[in-house]
Amino acid sequence: MSQAPNHADRSERFLLDEERTTWHDETLWFIRQKRDRAVYATPEFQELRELASQIKDHTLSRLAEYLEQFEARALANGVHVHWAADAEEHNRIVLDIVRQARATRVVKSKSMLTEECHLNPHLLAHGVEVIDSDLGERIIQLRDEAPSHVVLPAIHLKKEDVGETFWQHLGTEKGLTDPQQLTEAARQHLRAKFLAAEVAISGVNFAVAETGSVVVCTNEGNADLAIGLARVHIACMGMEKLVPRLSDLAVFTRLLTRSATGQPITTYTSHFTRPLPGRELHVVIVDNGRSQQLGRPDFRASLKCIRCGACMNTCPVYRRSGGHSYDFTIPGPIGAILSPNIDMRKHASLPFASTLCGSCTDVCPVKIDIHTQLYKWRQVLGAAGEIPASKKWSMKLLSRVLARPGLFAAGGSFARFGLRFVPHALSHAPGYNPWAIARELPAPPQQSFRAWYAQQRPNQA
Amino acid sequence: MSMPSREKMLAAVRASQPAATPLPVVPAFTGLASVARFTAALTGISGRVVVLEGWHALAAAVSQLFPADYRLASAILPATVAVASNTPIDRLAPIDLAVLRAEFGVAENGTVWLPEAHMLHRALPTVTQHLVLVLDQRNIVATMHQAYAQLPDVGGYGVFLAGPSKTADIEQSLVIGAHGARSLTVLLH
Ligand code: SF4
Repeated sequence: MSQAPNHADRSERFLLDEERTTWHDETLWFIRQKRDRAVYATPEFQELRELASQIKDHTLSRLAEYLEQFEARALANGVHVHWAADAEEHNRIVLDIVRQARATRVVKSKSMLTEECHLNPHLLAHGVEVIDSDLGERIIQLRDEAPSHVVLPAIHLKKEDVGETFWQHLGTEKGLTDPQQLTEAARQHLRAKFLAAEVAISGVNFAVAETGSVVVCTNEGNADLAIGLARVHIACMGMEKLVPRLSDLAVFTRLLTRSATGQPITTYTSHFTRPLPGRELHVVIVDNGRSQQLGRPDFRASLKCIRCGACMNTCPVYRRSGGHSYDFTIPGPIGAILSPNIDMRKHASLPFASTLCGSCTDVCPVKIDIHTQLYKWRQVLGAAGEIPASKKWSMKLLSRVLARPGLFAAGGSFARFGLRFVPHALSHAPGYNPWAIARELPAPPQQSFRAWYAQQRPNQA
Repeated sequence: MSMPSREKMLAAVRASQPAATPLPVVPAFTGLASVARFTAALTGISGRVVVLEGWHALAAAVSQLFPADYRLASAILPATVAVASNTPIDRLAPIDLAVLRAEFGVAENGTVWLPEAHMLHRALPTVTQHLVLVLDQRNIVATMHQAYAQLPDVGGYGVFLAGPSKTADIEQSLVIGAHGARSLTVLLH
């Protein structure tokens, strides 16, 4: 194939290991079920979703004012505030801060934004050691892979893979697969990194406009440990992370982990407002395509996302294709509506990586109409001529037929007659009908609906 | 230096943001604020709750729970390691146990609010191997809404802490003690 691989091609690679695919599918579905139990145990959950959605809508509608308010409060708190229009500027700002601190050792807690900006390669290329400290992130960093899920970055790996990686890089015993022992090895290895780091980089889950605080949520405590020890803290945030009031955090902390993993709250919900004397807190506010997405009425709601991962866990396509098949920092349904904004041609296949079943929309804690946006991106891609060739021609044919009732009727009777005689080898010929790879056709009915309906009429009179 | 980007970004946002929508009033969702509910929630996330007979029973309870010869940092018990906000890392690193005061608890999720003022050092709650938090059982609220309503501000640094450090990043197997404290005990008095 001369074309660059699309989502379907990359999924095929994932599907080669059937056992692993089944495990991936079932594990994520199990997490979805844990989410359901936590949701049903919270009587006001649906009201909270509506409130979260309205708070985010409101914030986006006055985003410029809230950004200015946040900046003013943060400055008054002794925080350095930086503005980065794109990934390149973000990386440059972070490197400058690291250099001014005369630092070469950096630990970083989980941040999808720094993944999006490819910060690690930039720092490494300039002689800065950067260690991802979240366990899942560290595992994939050692393997030189990208995260495959926003909350569970190493969900595509089995414990045997982790054992192999730790044997190679951390000197653990070969063949070690016990998660407890592997985690302990990582704890010892990373402790040394925490104690030695001069700069701590974190993401931001929420930024509070009225107090100028940034809030970081983790289960491992890696962000708090690193930030508590290092002299300089750099918090990197997408500009959409704002909430207006401190009290709004009650709504979001109640929704975030119940939706993500079924936990009642993350172990650490940490509020960073003022640096200690002699220490520094920098906040880097990043656009990188967000203001453009804000200007697309059909798609701006995607900026409400709080990165809980629930839409991934529930998605029948994601569960069976794996996060890497999306080839975008944010995989799954939400990634499929964010990515075309960044590069429509490169990510043209992602809005089609969906059955439009709507399960993502049902679980989204901030009520993003994900499946509607997937559908709308398909229209946009179609109009821009970015639809995959096989889809384009079959769609054209279909729309012609559907526009002509006579042709439709004739085609139907031909199919009912013909399908009985078409050999399986032809309807399922490899390379000709990808739809048929894992599907069988239904037995064609004896009669069309039109004919049946016409027969019923006399009886009704 | 970054002024141009600031102006550029704010202008782009102003040009893109839709007509203002209202900011909703969040109702005061309440519920049961009992010790039993708090205990069930915290136990469910691998924390431990022990009810003291009174403040005077604190020292005995801690030495019963941690009988070995631990390097202890504390503002409320006689400490073996003195810790202040500027204590150097090599003195913090070997600490086994920290016994600190918590401000209030949240019944719905077993969380406690730990403000900077009670931490001695910002890294102490995570650098210590084990953490004990002492909480007045009258200071338990029902939900996160009441919790945030208790906070006039969050100080320089403050944490809602719910149980010991944990991870499930290897095949979704729950492991306690990722990077922060390996155990969390809340002593209620
Ligand atoms: S789109 Fe919704 S469900 Fe998906 S990660 Fe974002 S907040 Fe969660």
